[in-house]
Amino acid sequence: MIASIPSHAELLLGPFDQRWSPRLESLLAMGKAAGADLVEIFLERTDHLGVLAEQDTITSVTPAFGMGAGIRVFRDQRDGFVSTNDLSEAGLTTALTQALGMLGLDLDGTGLSGFEGLPALRDFALEKNLWLSSCPELTESTQKLLEGTAQLQQKGKHLQARRGSYARDWQEVMVAASDGTFGRDIRLHQSVGLNVLAADGDHRAGVGRRYGTSDSPDDLRQWDVAQAADEVCTSAGNMLYADYVEAGQMPAVLANRFGGVIFHEACGHLLETTQVERGTTPFAEKVGETIAHEAVTAIDEGLTGGAFGSLSMDDEGLEAQRTVLIENGVLKRFLSDRAGELRTGHARTGSGRRQSHTFAAASRMRNTYIAAGPHQPEDLIASVDRGLYCKSMGGGSVGPTGQFNFAVEEGYLIEDGKLTKPVKGATLIGEAKEVMPRISMCANDLELAAGFCGSVSGSIFVTVGQPHIKVDSITVGGR
Amino acid sequence: MSQTNQSLNAEQLRSQLEGIAQQHGIRQWDLGAACSTDTSVQVDRGEPKQLKGAQRSSITIRVWNSEGLVGTTSTSDLSQSGLERALSGARDAAAFGNAEETPAFSPLATAPLTALDQPLHQPQGILKLLEQLKAAEHDLLGRHQAISTVPYNGLAERSSERIYLNSDGACRQQQLTTASIYLYARAEESGRKPRSSGAVRLAYGASDLDIAGCIDEAAERTISHLDYAPVETGRYTCVLSPEAFLDLIGAFSNLFNARSVLDGVSLSQKDSIGQSLAVPFLSIDDNGLHPGNIGASNFDGEGTPTRKLSLLEGGVLKNFLHSEATARAFGVAPTGHAGLGAKVSVGPDWFEIGPTPGTSGGQSGLDRFKADQPIIWIDSLSALHAGVKASQGSFSLPFDGWLIKGGEARSIDAATVAGDIRQVLNAIVGFEGEAKVTPDGLCPMVWVEGLSITGEA
Repeated sequence: MIASIPSHAELLLGPFDQRWSPRLESLLAMGKAAGADLVEIFLERTDHLGVLAEQDTITSVTPAFGMGAGIRVFRDQRDGFVSTNDLSEAGLTTALTQALGMLGLDLDGTGLSGFEGLPALRDFALEKNLWLSSCPELTESTQKLLEGTAQLQQKGKHLQARRGSYARDWQEVMVAASDGTFGRDIRLHQSVGLNVLAADGDHRAGVGRRYGTSDSPDDLRQWDVAQAADEVCTSAGNMLYADYVEAGQMPAVLANRFGGVIFHEACGHLLETTQVERGTTPFAEKVGETIAHEAVTAIDEGLTGGAFGSLSMDDEGLEAQRTVLIENGVLKRFLSDRAGELRTGHARTGSGRRQSHTFAAASRMRNTYIAAGPHQPEDLIASVDRGLYCKSMGGGSVGPTGQFNFAVEEGYLIEDGKLTKPVKGATLIGEAKEVMPRISMCANDLELAAGFCGSVSGSIFVTVGQPHIKVDSITVGGR
Repeated sequence: MSQTNQSLNAEQLRSQLEGIAQQHGIRQWDLGAACSTDTSVQVDRGEPKQLKGAQRSSITIRVWNSEGLVGTTSTSDLSQSGLERALSGARDAAAFGNAEETPAFSPLATAPLTALDQPLHQPQGILKLLEQLKAAEHDLLGRHQAISTVPYNGLAERSSERIYLNSDGACRQQQLTTASIYLYARAEESGRKPRSSGAVRLAYGASDLDIAGCIDEAAERTISHLDYAPVETGRYTCVLSPEAFLDLIGAFSNLFNARSVLDGVSLSQKDSIGQSLAVPFLSIDDNGLHPGNIGASNFDGEGTPTRKLSLLEGGVLKNFLHSEATARAFGVAPTGHAGLGAKVSVGPDWFEIGPTPGTSGGQSGLDRFKADQPIIWIDSLSALHAGVKASQGSFSLPFDGWLIKGGEARSIDAATVAGDIRQVLNAIVGFEGEAKVTPDGLCPMVWVEGLSITGEA
């Protein structure tokens, strides 16, 4: 039986499914016939909801939706990428033509495509089609946020501003490539944040926490508002009267969960093949060599259930994997995407990720963490005569020479093996090559935390994590 | 008929919206729409690395419901069905609008606009961009044997259009072409740490870009960091480059932001106008219309005309930046600094910073190479997103720069600068040199005493 070819409107109204196959096959065949080594098409449909509560009022509700495509053409080791919001046959053909033109190819090419058609769709979203409609409605989400700001008011002192925010990001993607890749997935990310600004005379402390999960419509419903508010208010109370940290070189103990941002910034980015391609990682030729203290084993994976960086397939249609990056201090692998494999020879790891159809995929982290070690967290603190305990981290970044930095949001002095007074204004700076060998102790309390990572292919959902770790010496910027 | 990605037709869009609004019983609405076509290239040691093109379109619609509450929806789908969904979505969201602060149309949404001199350029095309960037990279690599790669580089051109419409008949439209180049080189000498620096240039078209100047600056800055040493931790008099000082003021622009004041997260209060915030010779204006502001717009997200606004004069706070809603709350006119939304954001356009006319401008004749004390020359600040506590006033930031002693400048190895913006504004010693046009504003070098520097010496 011959199925009828669906109209453009029918395609756009329904989910991305096997009905897209003829249109995509036609484009892929045209690209191959024009002389491309490989053609990849990424289709995306999004639905976003943002809600903001301030004090005891909902002050902003921001729904957004959209769709688009990104077409990437490879020839030799080069690639051309074009994105468009126009998913019509004409729109996609125009985008393909432009991508081919970037590589000096055109659709008038008379070559044989050698493209044998797409296989049956690998649909990772079969169980996910009702996710969007199962998420909390606006009434429910606004009530939950107002409950959050009310809890802040109840638990906090000297609060000048209270905020709760909620973001729900739903994304349906389809990836088709001339190497036979043909997959579909649905991703759902929800995050909630609580922020306060405490002020008393000249003393001020701004504290925020964000909690994020993936792939469960019930996440917001199950969020423990009271516990989150308690955590934020306790931190604000501790930091309100904190002194500025004294600058210098000192040992530091970094708490678990979001403390993992140090590995993400200091080392993780340098283990992406995008950095190998640019020549900006000191680890490019170090596979099999010791690059960290033997206490350090580090993993990047996309498999942990509900974690912010988990995915069924990456944005190039490859199933997520578990990648051991460093094992007992020895570099084992890099994170690689399609272009990274082509240009550096490192095999793909299911790490090709992008913010949206407007970015070409690149090798990016997923859930990245240092594995648990043998110590109790208090053993690490007890081993420091004078240093800094970093209970909560702000953001950070890494530069083109491997130099990293990140802010300490909540810190305490360690004196004679004990936590003493809170300190603020600390920034940790250093270089991965120098700091990784100084991570000398890992505790047994690994925990993960949700975050966002901005880099070459946009802002993506990631998880960072670690147990408590001790860095023997690091530069602490302060006053 | 649908809008295309390549262009927006304001009258067609208005007609579509009016029809849909009528069907849904919606009487008050406004919208901001934008579309752009971007082309960019990157190269790696003489080879094309990534060639990229993008056609984008987006629209944000606001709808006032029968109770006067506002809702919004944004979409990249400009088809008839997309517009219908956006309009009905905004109406549904309006049920959750904030009754305590409802935006209205700007009273200035039909006021005359200042004409901008922004020549429109035809795109050069990606292959020509590629050749230009390959040549630029080749030139930069040849400037010093230690420069081995230019890991971050790009040459891009953009054609864009934006529209503001409302149901009272306001119609704003702007077309713009821009181009940019950035070159960040990496240099390494045997046994020494790699060093990196770069430069950026903007113009209205790729043919107008000062590529030679960008190469010269990137080379000069990168080479100047090859000979480096750690610096001792302590308090220093610092000379901030125009870029660094503008970054700092931008990071703490909540000082001037009426939205932040009303939200209780600004360092200023509602009654701070007239108070002294800085040394008595510092002026800061916001002037989005300055000819050096490549990409300027002559209207904001609510259709209010852009204009020059004095923020600090003689160190005294003169005005806040406003949207329609914040201006109403303060009893003043909107200043042209609004975004578009249910809760409208407010932000600066482009700063002009310098001595207040009629004042001495602080110490005269400042020259960092003739100082009788060690000077830290801060060229660029990093990681502002992480190291700035805007609502607290404090910052702790990594920087690139030099230690100047006895007239000799030596690059500083990893270091941070920390302080409080209110103390910085009151510790300005004076200005050095002529004001420089940068992508973020106009500013001379600024001398600040007593800043905390953490180094590794």
